[in-house]
Amino acid sequence: MFTNTLFLLSAALTVGGAIAVVYSQNLMHACIYLLASFFGVAGLYACIGADFLAATQLVVYAGGVVILMLFAIMLTGGTGNNINRYGLEKIAAMGNKKTYFFAGITAILASLVVLKIIANVLKDQPSTLLTSNEPTVERIGTILATDHILAFEISSVLLLGALIGAAVISRPRKERHD
Amino acid sequence: MNSTVVTYLSQSKELTDATAWLSKVLGLDASSLVAFIIFAVACLIVVGLMSTIGGLGTYAERKISADLQMRVGPNRVGPYGILQFLADGVKMILKEDIIPSGADRFTFILAPFLCLVGVFATLAVVPFSSGFILADLNVGIFYLVGMASLVGVGVFLGGYASNSKWSMLGGMRGASQIISYEIPATITIISIVLLAGGLSMGTLIGGQGGMPQEWYLFHNPFAFIGFFVYFIAALAETNRAPFDLPEAESELVSGYHTEYSGMRFGLFALAEYIEVFVVCGVATALFLGGYKVPFDLGTGAILVQKLGLNEMLAKNIGQILELGAFFTKTLALYYVVIWVRWTLPRLRVDQLMTLCWKYLTPIAIFNLLGCAVWMYAFDGRSIFSLIFDATTVVAGHH
Repeated sequence: MFTNTLFLLSAALTVGGAIAVVYSQNLMHACIYLLASFFGVAGLYACIGADFLAATQLVVYAGGVVILMLFAIMLTGGTGNNINRYGLEKIAAMGNKKTYFFAGITAILASLVVLKIIANVLKDQPSTLLTSNEPTVERIGTILATDHILAFEISSVLLLGALIGAAVISRPRKERHD
Repeated sequence: MNSTVVTYLSQSKELTDATAWLSKVLGLDASSLVAFIIFAVACLIVVGLMSTIGGLGTYAERKISADLQMRVGPNRVGPYGILQFLADGVKMILKEDIIPSGADRFTFILAPFLCLVGVFATLAVVPFSSGFILADLNVGIFYLVGMASLVGVGVFLGGYASNSKWSMLGGMRGASQIISYEIPATITIISIVLLAGGLSMGTLIGGQGGMPQEWYLFHNPFAFIGFFVYFIAALAETNRAPFDLPEAESELVSGYHTEYSGMRFGLFALAEYIEVFVVCGVATALFLGGYKVPFDLGTGAILVQKLGLNEMLAKNIGQILELGAFFTKTLALYYVVIWVRWTLPRLRVDQLMTLCWKYLTPIAIFNLLGCAVWMYAFDGRSIFSLIFDATTVVAGHH
C-alpha cells in the first residue's frame, strides 16, 4: 500500500517533471522542473530498496548538477529571445514542432528495439518492488573496493582530468613579453 | 527495520492494546494506520518545535548581540521581550506582499519554499533522542547532506528571480559559497563515518558514550581538528557571519532577499535559523556524543535496577534525559554561532574562497587520511583508552 503510493507519486513526479522540462519556454524554469524530475527518480530508487542510490541521486543531481546548470544558464544568458538578429526564429534549445515529431518517432523506434532486446530478461524476472529493507551501503562499498576497484580508480582519474582541464581553461594566461 | 519513533512507542503495552482494539473495531489490521497517525503527530511536533526554535533564534540573536554590544535589546513584548518573535511574525504576515514587476514570478514564489523544504526535509533524520527520531535511515547523514543542498538552489533562485543587481550578486555568492564549503564539511563527515562504521545516525551516535572522553571529538587528534573544520564549514554553509557575504548589509543591501517582503522574507529567515539548529545538531551527533547521557541512564536499565521503577516509565525518563542532553549541547553550539557572528568581521570573497580551497579542504583530506591510519594502527581505539591501558600497565610494574 505504502510502497505503491510512493511509487505512483515518484513516477508522476518523474514523468510530469520531464514533460514540463520539454514544454517549458523558459530555460530557467525547465531547470527547476528537471530538479523535480530528479527527485522523482530518487523516489523510484527508494521504492526498489536502493537507499544509497536514492541518496546519491539527491546529493549529486539535486545538489550539484542542478546548481551548475542554473549557473551556466544564467551566465550564458540562455533565457530570453528566440529571434536572432536577422529576425528569424531560432530553433530553440527546447525544440519546435519539427524536432518534437522526429524525436518522438526516434524515441518510439529506439524503445521498441530496446524492449525487444530486454524482453527475455523481463519475462523471467519476478517483480522486485521493495522486497526487503536491508541496507545496501555496506555491500556497495565492499564491491566497489574489491571487485570493481579498477573501474573505481579509473573514474577518479577521469574526474581528476576534468578538474585539471577546467583549471587550465579558466586560468588567466600569462602574456609573453618577447 | 530502522528504529523510528513508532518502533519506540510500540514497546509500550498501551499502544499495543489500542492497536488491537482499533483493529477489532475497524475489522482490519490497524497497525499501519496507527503508525501513520503517530508519524503525522510526530512530524507536526517536530515542525512546530523547530519553527518555535527558529523564531526564538531571532530573539536570541538580537538579545545576545545586545549583550555583546552593551545594549538592552528587545524588552517590550512580554517578559524580557521574549514574545518579540511573535510580534515580528504577525507584522510579517500583515505586510503587503510585493513582487517586483520585472521579477520571474514563478521562481520568485518558489525560492523561499525550496529553502524551507530543504531544511525541513533534513529534520527527518535529526536524532533528538534514541526513541524520538522520525526515521533512522541507513543512509541518514548522506541523506541530510543531499537535502541540505536544496537550500543552495533556493538561495540562488531567490537571487536570480528578483531581477535586481544586489539580489543577483547575493544569490551567486550564496550558491558558490554553499557548493564550495560542502566539500570540507562532507569530507569531515566521511572521516567520522570511518570511525563509526556506518552512515545511519544510530550507528554514528552508538559508537560514542555519554562521558566526554568517549566522544568522537576526543577520539583522536584528527577528529579533534575535524570538528573545527566542520564547524567553520557549517557556518559558511548557513551563510552566517563571518561568512555572510550573500547578505552583506553594507555592500549588497541584504543580498538574495533584498526584494522579498512580508512572509516570503520571513520564510528565508526561518529557514536560515532552523538550518543553523540542524547543523549544530549534526555537529553534536557526530562529535559531541549526540543524545548520549552518562552511566547508561538513557536506556533506563539502571533506574529499574536501583529504584525498582516500571520498565516503560524508566525508559521514558531516559528519553527525557537524552532529549535534554541533545538540546543542551546543540543550543550551546547555537550560542557559539551567534557569538561568532557578533565578534568577527566579514571576510572578502577571495579570502572566503582561499580559506575553503587552500586551507579547509586540504586539512579535511589530511584528517580523513589520518583517521584511516589511526583506525588501522590502533585498531579503532580512542586516545583515552590507549592512555588508560598504558597507565594500568605502568602501575602494574610498580
